[in-house]
Amino acid sequence: MTSYGMVFDVKRCIGCNACTVACKQENSLPDGMFFTRTLSFESGEFPNVSRSYLPTICNHCEDAPCEKVCPSGATYTRDDGIVMVDGKLCIGCGSCAVACPYDMRTQVDGDIIKGGLFGDGALTPFEEQGYSRFECGTFTKCDFCSERVDAGKDPACVATCPTDARVFGDLDDPDSKVSRLIRERKGQQPLPEKNTRPKVYYID
Amino acid sequence: MAISSLKNILRPGFVGHTFKSGYRFQRYWDKPMAIAFFCGETGAGLFIVSMLIDFLPGVILGLLITGVGKTFFHLTHMGVPQKSWRAILRPDRSWISRGLIGIVFFVGFGTIHVAGELFGLVPDALMMPVYILSMAGAMVVIVYQGFAMSHSTAIALWSTGLMPVSSMLYGLLAGTSLVTFLTSFNMYEIDADRLVMVSALQIILIVAVQLALLSLLHGAKNGSKGAQQSYQLLTRDFLARPFLYGVVGVGTIVPLLMLLLLPTGFIVTTIVAACVLAGFCLFRLLVFRAGVLDPILSPADIFRR
Repeated sequence: MTSYGMVFDVKRCIGCNACTVACKQENSLPDGMFFTRTLSFESGEFPNVSRSYLPTICNHCEDAPCEKVCPSGATYTRDDGIVMVDGKLCIGCGSCAVACPYDMRTQVDGDIIKGGLFGDGALTPFEEQGYSRFECGTFTKCDFCSERVDAGKDPACVATCPTDARVFGDLDDPDSKVSRLIRERKGQQPLPEKNTRPKVYYID
Repeated sequence: MAISSLKNILRPGFVGHTFKSGYRFQRYWDKPMAIAFFCGETGAGLFIVSMLIDFLPGVILGLLITGVGKTFFHLTHMGVPQKSWRAILRPDRSWISRGLIGIVFFVGFGTIHVAGELFGLVPDALMMPVYILSMAGAMVVIVYQGFAMSHSTAIALWSTGLMPVSSMLYGLLAGTSLVTFLTSFNMYEIDADRLVMVSALQIILIVAVQLALLSLLHGAKNGSKGAQQSYQLLTRDFLARPFLYGVVGVGTIVPLLMLLLLPTGFIVTTIVAACVLAGFCLFRLLVFRAGVLDPILSPADIFRR
């Protein structure tokens, strides 16, 4: 059985946020909505200061808390382990957003979908082709670019990353690159104490 | 960058919805949801207490508070209110679904009970099953919101079994306070012994709520980093004044002292009910406001090597 997951090599990440931009472009995400973010943190004191980067994305948890609390059945897990949201079934109650320990749910703002970036109702061609996928007021999230994955491609963030800091693959295949990286470089899951069994791993 | 250096990311500090790593407030359940929770628990508490002492005005008011007030504020909160009925579809896994079924039982059978009491529309043989089903629905409504919150492991302050307990205690306290207030108008005949029992129960519930609040703070203080941040917010930071003075002081200590030291009368029961309801509503708002998410990389031992 296939179980898709992702590995972040934090040693390789340079914080360029090309993944963030590629995700927004691929998914036609409106202003203020992100499915992936590269977080940063400054540490140390002048002159010995460093900045650290931490890519984040929906962890497509095996025991997804967002799916467990969803009262309408909008959130579900595909056979390949990708946690999906059916916008047509979502009622916008937000229970998934408060259940996600990783803060990876985002609400579709109806004003932006209807008014466009400039707020005058005149959608740009990019907005016109992309916004039809969203249901106003619903909650949505990363789906590992499921359409690309179904076509045999990597998610947009992985394909774009200039340093190969993001690796996507089948966690159930012991010979896949993600499995080898996790095994050889002791991949660690975010917030393991939440018992959500994330399918995203961090390595250094 | 080595993971050992990532522990620097674990420094305390809230980052909002930015591209920084740190503590984040939950921001999706806000005032309308808090008021909806408040209405649900208050209405169910008033209904349960009123049913137990056969106080029909309280039964009707409890149904209205939940059926109208809670529903209104929930619909205000919903992103897609016209599809809200779909929330009933997954009772096998979601407390919101279970709660909605409870509301349907509570309001539906509660209304039938009132129709039977007022107009004699319900055969006597059916009154007891209707009574039991409406009470069962009310019991679900008074606790399910606490279970829905405690189900969220993301927010350590909420992820405790004390949430449904505090929901039930606060709901029953609001119910007893409203019953003592409403009966002080002397417009509806009611057994004096039962009123004495309700007054005694009110004092016990205030003490129980105080213990629940203390336990909640104790658990947060000794919980995860996110829970400790919530504790700091509620006791020392910008939420401390409304929590300590409002929820604890006005909401529990003032009514307790008034009930213990002053002779019962209309003014006392009115002030006590107002204080209890204000404290309860503030509690709901502040518990939502103090919900903190841990940083993505947690202080778990696995990241400390």
